[in-house]
Amino acid sequence: MKTIKIPFGPQHPALEEPINFIFEVEEERVVNVKLRLGYIHRGIEKLAENRTYHQNVYLVERICGICSFAHTTCYTQAVEELLGIDIPERAKFIRTITAEMERVQNHYLWLGFTAKEAGFETLFMYTWRDRETILEVLETISGKRVNYGMNTIGGIRRDISDTMTEQIEDKLNHLENRSKYYKKICTKEQTILKRTVGVGILKPHDALSLCAVGPTLRASNIPRDVRADEPYAAYGEIPFKVITYKRHDVASRILVRIDETLESINIIRYALKNMPKGPIRVKVPQRVPKGEAVSRVEAPRGEDIYYLKSDGSDKPVRLKVRAPTLANLPSLCKMLIDVNIADIPVVIAGIDPCIACAERIMLVDTKTKKRWIWSGDELRRYACEWYRK
Amino acid sequence: MVPEITAILEVFLFPGFFFLFFLAFFIEWLDRKLVAKFQNRYGPLHVGPKGILQPVADFIKLLSKEDIKPAMADRVPFVAMPLLLLTLAMTPLFCIPITSSYALISFEGDLIVVMFLMTLIALLLFIGAWVSTNRFSTIGGVRAGLQMFGYEIPLNIAMIGPAIGAGSLSISEIVKWQSHGLWFILTQPLGFAILSICLLAHLQRVPFDIPEAETEIVSGWLVEFSGKKLALIRLARNFKLILAASLMASLYMGGPSGLWQPNPLTYFIKLVICVFILSNLRALFARYRIDQFLAGVWRYLTPLALLQISIIQVLTW
Amino acid sequence: MAMENELIKSLMKKPITLRFPNERAQPVERMRGKVTWKIEKCIGCTLCAKICPSEAVELIGEGRNAEIRYYIGRCLFCGECVDICPTEAIETTKEFELAFTQPKEMTLEFRRTKRNLESSRKK
Repeated sequence: MKTIKIPFGPQHPALEEPINFIFEVEEERVVNVKLRLGYIHRGIEKLAENRTYHQNVYLVERICGICSFAHTTCYTQAVEELLGIDIPERAKFIRTITAEMERVQNHYLWLGFTAKEAGFETLFMYTWRDRETILEVLETISGKRVNYGMNTIGGIRRDISDTMTEQIEDKLNHLENRSKYYKKICTKEQTILKRTVGVGILKPHDALSLCAVGPTLRASNIPRDVRADEPYAAYGEIPFKVITYKRHDVASRILVRIDETLESINIIRYALKNMPKGPIRVKVPQRVPKGEAVSRVEAPRGEDIYYLKSDGSDKPVRLKVRAPTLANLPSLCKMLIDVNIADIPVVIAGIDPCIACAERIMLVDTKTKKRWIWSGDELRRYACEWYRK
Repeated sequence: MVPEITAILEVFLFPGFFFLFFLAFFIEWLDRKLVAKFQNRYGPLHVGPKGILQPVADFIKLLSKEDIKPAMADRVPFVAMPLLLLTLAMTPLFCIPITSSYALISFEGDLIVVMFLMTLIALLLFIGAWVSTNRFSTIGGVRAGLQMFGYEIPLNIAMIGPAIGAGSLSISEIVKWQSHGLWFILTQPLGFAILSICLLAHLQRVPFDIPEAETEIVSGWLVEFSGKKLALIRLARNFKLILAASLMASLYMGGPSGLWQPNPLTYFIKLVICVFILSNLRALFARYRIDQFLAGVWRYLTPLALLQISIIQVLTW
Repeated sequence: MAMENELIKSLMKKPITLRFPNERAQPVERMRGKVTWKIEKCIGCTLCAKICPSEAVELIGEGRNAEIRYYIGRCLFCGECVDICPTEAIETTKEFELAFTQPKEMTLEFRRTKRNLESSRKK
């Protein structure tokens, strides 16, 4: 049977960011998938080497618009580990609260996005209308709706006052009702169930061997969550559940994320009630002593890893970012085999793709089909030679 | 002389071409506004009072855009297809009674002609997709053909139901029968429900807009049409919507007949009610897959339609 | 069919979209828009220029009579300069509608007059 190749190209109504898939299709079933990245590479890791540690907080925030707080938390934790300082308790709690609010906001956006891929425009409009509530809360605390600028090395820049706490409580109650309503819709509405149940299966042993992270992994019944395995900020002191579902398909991923939203609202309530009083910031020196640090954070999409190397000056030597979507892409290619064409956007949306976070380099020589990875010095030497020609 | 002049005026002005064009734009505005209100937003707002001229603005804008013809497409069918689609969508509207119990064209068997023209429209979509020679349009065209296999039979059975009840195969006769008796929506509610669902599939609206799925295959069969051709295709879509709502109103709800003499206002009110039902169904569901659609239709709709016909036969024994 | 209740209720409610520019959202207290300088309080310490993450602030001249050039196009509206100024000469406004048609209008200069009283805007 002959196959035709369909490009799900850089420009497509289903994708928010440019990425190229080439599907080999045999009468509405996908037989093979090829992936090409690199359309949105901005050179962030190189830019980070020319700015001081303090200026880098703002650079790192803009890697992704929606999970920006997770990136700054990871970065400032890495720098604080290199400096060897401990931030005040109140700052840890406020970091937790803001991170959970960002998680709620991300999951609402994702739910609308997936509904739009399945053709359900009404749910898309409703979830984005309700997302405005959490954005208003974030704006009240920090002053901005995305890229909050709350994190800084040594703590937090803005405090949460008591009047704000009351406003936040009302809006959290409203959001909890809406989340329960969406959970009811996603378990009862026949058209959504028909589009998502049994679609995009990822078995647990595949998920582990292909290194999936985040809700994609937890929907395959594996309870891994950086907040529980290696607690950072104030997660060690707040009780919460790690949510897993057993069906390994897109419907479980939807339910995992809605349940995580409800769990986040509980975490925010607990943290607001038990927040200790005190300072929110400590002063830090400009120069960072020599060393290396790795820090991990549970971004809304999965596990975010940062590697930072310093040499005693006020600019970093090397910053490496591994965003969660990059880890989920091999699992995506595995999930897309043997799926109908109509299910492709739903499955892609199921892993919550944020391609802007995911751009790194690997070199493939297409003539000799060799693959290798260069170290930093080799790359520099190649660049100098290329420019000299 | 005077009857001929009246006839010409009727065909061209009211309820002929001009009226139908205005009705097409109005119904598109109504549909967009209703769906927007269901989704808690405004819809068209600025062009004209309450946005009522927005479809006209869209039509004029599309007419002025660049008309790209792909190099590999067959020239004559590619250019002729939007014109044929518009013609086939407008012609059945002359058989629908609007001003009185008798339409502009009415003869025994015009219901069958209307059904035939609706089938031709579906075939024309497949041809339009085939001559576009694009991967996405091929998939869209194949899906359009498959979808026609599904909804064709229940649709025709649901339209024959009132014909059996009224004892005639002319839409005008069915309307006249209903002005003396009960509306068919009360005696054949199952047929009305099946007709609505199958008309949604014929119109390619959510939940059955599979050949045209925007997020999956980038507009499916109409991906290569642009500029004037796209304007005509969108206009044809509006006419199809009027045709669908008019069929629902005439066959099951009595058309222009009501408490008074048959008049266009009653027809208009029933048209608006049917468009309301269709828009509500559009805002309520997600999109099905083609294999789920075919399985559902052959497993549920066709047996239910046959059941409805059997009930009618038993009742009129 | 599960969402039918919500749809009927939405028919009765007013739409949630704001009709910009007639209706606007209310800015919150902490909102960070464009930044302005009170040039008579500035002592020329260059801390704001050093801490800006995107080099949007430049000093013209040196010392106590330095003046400020501010590039709106580069500003991130992060508020670091506001926090760090030792004499509180910088404050945030709530202006966020900052689209211009000429590139020259994106650069603001805050200059001292002879009597050190006003700041002027160079077009």
